[in-house]
Amino acid sequence: MVRAVAENQPGRNQNRMCSDNSIGAFIARLKGVMAVHPVAGIDSDSHFNTLAMELFSLQSEHNPIYRLLCERSGKTTRTVSHWSEIPTVPTSAFKEWDITSIPTGERSRWFCSSGTTDQRPSRHLHSTASLSIYEHSLWPPFQQHLLPEGCAFGQGLSWISLTPPSHLAPHSSLIHMFSTIRARVEPASFHWCSRVGPSGDWELHPQEVLSALNEACAKQTPVVLLGTAFLFLNLLDAMDAPVTRLHLPPGSRILETGGYKGRTRSVPKAELHSLLCSRLGLPQANIITEYGMAELSSQAYDRICAHKAGTPLHFPPWARARIISPETGVEAMDGEAGLLQIFDLANVHSVLAIQTEDLAVRRRDGFELIGRQPRAEARGCSLMAP
Amino acid sequence: MNLPDYFIADLPAEAVITPRMIAESCDSLRRNREQFLTHRSTDWMIGVLCHAAEQWLEPGFPLRKLALNHGPAATGFSSETLARGLDTFFRQFTQENFEALLRQDLGHLRCLDKPSAPNRDEQHARLSLARGPELILHFTAGNLPIPALMSMTLGLLTRSSQWVKCAAGGAFIPRIYAHLIYHVEPKLGACLELGTWPHERQDLNEPLLTTADCITATGSDEAIADIRARVSPKARFLGYGHRVSFGFVSAAVLAHGHAHRVATRIAADVSAWDQLGCLSPHAVYVEEGGAASPEQFAELVAEELAAREQIQPRGTLPLPESAAIASRRSFYEIRSAHTPGTRLWCSPGSTAWTVVYESNPHFQHSCLNRFLYIKSARNLEEVLQGADDIRRSVSTVGLAAPEEQAERLATELARWGAARVCPIGKMQEPPLHWRHDGRPALADLITWTDWEF
Repeated sequence: MVRAVAENQPGRNQNRMCSDNSIGAFIARLKGVMAVHPVAGIDSDSHFNTLAMELFSLQSEHNPIYRLLCERSGKTTRTVSHWSEIPTVPTSAFKEWDITSIPTGERSRWFCSSGTTDQRPSRHLHSTASLSIYEHSLWPPFQQHLLPEGCAFGQGLSWISLTPPSHLAPHSSLIHMFSTIRARVEPASFHWCSRVGPSGDWELHPQEVLSALNEACAKQTPVVLLGTAFLFLNLLDAMDAPVTRLHLPPGSRILETGGYKGRTRSVPKAELHSLLCSRLGLPQANIITEYGMAELSSQAYDRICAHKAGTPLHFPPWARARIISPETGVEAMDGEAGLLQIFDLANVHSVLAIQTEDLAVRRRDGFELIGRQPRAEARGCSLMAP
Repeated sequence: MNLPDYFIADLPAEAVITPRMIAESCDSLRRNREQFLTHRSTDWMIGVLCHAAEQWLEPGFPLRKLALNHGPAATGFSSETLARGLDTFFRQFTQENFEALLRQDLGHLRCLDKPSAPNRDEQHARLSLARGPELILHFTAGNLPIPALMSMTLGLLTRSSQWVKCAAGGAFIPRIYAHLIYHVEPKLGACLELGTWPHERQDLNEPLLTTADCITATGSDEAIADIRARVSPKARFLGYGHRVSFGFVSAAVLAHGHAHRVATRIAADVSAWDQLGCLSPHAVYVEEGGAASPEQFAELVAEELAAREQIQPRGTLPLPESAAIASRRSFYEIRSAHTPGTRLWCSPGSTAWTVVYESNPHFQHSCLNRFLYIKSARNLEEVLQGADDIRRSVSTVGLAAPEEQAERLATELARWGAARVCPIGKMQEPPLHWRHDGRPALADLITWTDWEF
């Protein structure tokens, strides 16, 4: 019933959606910004603010669900002057409504949240145009953090993704990201090492990973291992019996992302990284954490490969994190914890201001994840202990 | 906080607790029970309990002052919420109420003292003596203290020694109660022990599980199953799992112009223990067709919650809990903008209270801490259909209905599976003889010896 509202209401706006030149003009400018060196693309808060306010104006005009929210909350282009005041949309809203300005006929793809506890996943709708922005947005920060030596360096590496290939999981934004990277780098070898099980879970085939790793070791080809924390845990489990220790060739690196949403098992990040270092024989500085989600079009990273000093997670210049007190809505001070909001200019066709369900500590202009909110039904007096 | 260290839970955080200490404490408890407790009469025990309650209710009583001063930091509840909740509990401690409990559960006032004839058994040439367990081990849950206090009280009535293993962060009020008992009767206090440790310290649970002849546990269904699996087959196990509650307001009640009063009572139910109890309503269903529409009624409840916040503020929340409220509010902001059957009212500048009105009668779990759903329904039948998913875990249904309807509605709710139906406004005030989750909590502790002659 609710979805019918979402799809029926655009009627009068249909002809204004996305075909509007101003969105096209915005995309062109944004891609220009992304093409510049990622650190220098947006050089000041006022530059970010100009772009954010322009996009806010476009979205509140072209995105019917969002427009109503803005009007109801009294936060419109007439009242909002700074990007931090732009009304956010919770990720949970993507489960119920098509939050998009893409006309029905142009919705060629959607990315779903990966949480298995959710009965109904989020749907972030995409068109050819929005996917193109997604692909433009993901590359510069990926290259900056994973391949600081340059794209050409990546061609000579052996790439192993612990996820299934794109055609088996077309609604995973993460796998689309890996596919895009693969297409960019055109490496000599790229292995996908999971399949999709009957329940939709990703099932790692550890022997495929180990055989690809052994081959790389034999040839002394550095490896790029891509995967979620949970899949890395699966790999480590498989390396327990018999106990396997590898010494990956120098220059090997890991991109670890995602948490353990809905999983029964998890280990703290530091412990996971330490296990990976000891079992795979690569330095801590070569493990890079990425943070992204289906409802975003940009990703945050915590380290440039091989740099000893890690940083807090931080987005490229076209996206910003803001930590707020859920109690008062006021922005957290440095070192304070709160609810993570993300303002992502690459979310052109949905909404730029997203309220996540993640809790984080503000670390200067970056953030450190500290967990998620509890599930509502898992609370109450009888559910806190023993 | 200055409490003498009578109990293991009183030791400083840095104190090392060992399995041996726990085992020795069990030995002491059993010895003390033999010496100080087994020969006590029911009358004496009721006298002690009533005296303890009178002491608690004295405004200047030092333990009360200490509990209300330090309670907010230790439990997360405001001083007003603690006072209201604990006073309500202790006011039930009267001779009449204890006797009603004994008569209901055991059939006779004296059967814990001497062979007696419950249920007019004298006609059958039989007398029966009720015995409590030698040592009860309670696993208590969360920071809502009443279930723990109730378990301890029932254990005292049965003259059992008791070990109360409190959940992390949930020891403060049970400690206060144990000190209260110690204060009024030190020998009785010597038959109680309390402690708390992290879940990982299963080595400390082991001596308790092997020694206790009765184990009660309150917790998630998974936690209950986990403990049950470790209980010896010879010990009795009483598990109280996850329960939820809701309310139902009949249209006829609103037609009599009582909407305001009912809304005030709902606000009391939601504010009691900040809605964190199993008996607190997640949602209140309002029957359509009354003088106030369910949506108008929801607004009244919101006003009442705002007023309640002034006199009985909600406690300070840890970040994940306030984040859960903030997230859910932002979802309903959008839904209320798009769906005519949804509205949202909430406290400005804080997460103190939230009311979501939804015309959809499907039951919704609240994120609690004074976050209430008001739902409209054509009749009780529609409510029960909407709540079918939780049928097996419903504890209490708060009912606001005219007298002429109440019996029919209560019968319907009972047949459907509700363990308790009570007036709205009393959901968090179960009487002393309340049957916990539909079971006679005192009788469940008892072993009978029948003397046939």
